[in-house]
Amino acid sequence: MEPIAYVTRLNEFYRSQGFPSYRWTVNEDAPLTLLKKPLSQCRVALLTSGGVSRKDAPAFNPQARNDLRLDSIEKETPAHFFAINDAYYNHDDADRDINCIFPIDRLRELAAEGIIGGIAPHHYSGFMGRIYIRSTVVNEAAPTLVQKLRDESVDVFVLVPA
Amino acid sequence: MVVSTGRDLSAQVKPPRTVFVNFPMGNPFGGAFDIGQQRTILLDALRALETMAKGGDIIDLPYEWHEEFRMNLGSGYSSAGSK
Repeated sequence: MEPIAYVTRLNEFYRSQGFPSYRWTVNEDAPLTLLKKPLSQCRVALLTSGGVSRKDAPAFNPQARNDLRLDSIEKETPAHFFAINDAYYNHDDADRDINCIFPIDRLRELAAEGIIGGIAPHHYSGFMGRIYIRSTVVNEAAPTLVQKLRDESVDVFVLVPA
Repeated sequence: MVVSTGRDLSAQVKPPRTVFVNFPMGNPFGGAFDIGQQRTILLDALRALETMAKGGDIIDLPYEWHEEFRMNLGSGYSSAGSK
């Protein structure tokens, strides 16, 4: 099947609700940093923005707007030790198996097999719900996260918007 | 590297690298306990890091969801106008 036209469909939805047009982020190009070593030597971390929290942390607000909360997730966290609170997508499958959106077990397997060099001490979960404060994300939240990744010598960062 | 289920969204935001999976939101790595599919998609994303050379590019992964699916944004959008 053809990919779903989310932009068109959401524009129609907002219009039907009488909202002003949504100002999408449109970038003309993107920076790219080439890998400096083979994957088998790279340290990998994951980010989910799917409202995923450890069971010993507060739940995310499923209806969140402009919530820049970012949780650090210890890499050893078992797959069953997560809760998902996010009203903006269907997470029935991910409720049963977090690896559908946050493949923490699969990454552990790839590390054990030596396909990747290792797993960073922490993964991340945050930026869930709807965020309209773009400049705060770009100028403050993202650089803070980048510094955390640098501090833990992360080579590869896999972001999963759910 | 972004693992995306929204091809048009990724095309306009342009993360440095994207692999697109034409699966429903909520299933970017496949179904629950479908270990083989989850592993394949994660591995495809990681391996693509070694070949992608232009910022903003998207690789379309070849997998098909087991049924037709529609946009399902959950319950949140039904209250999109409320504060």
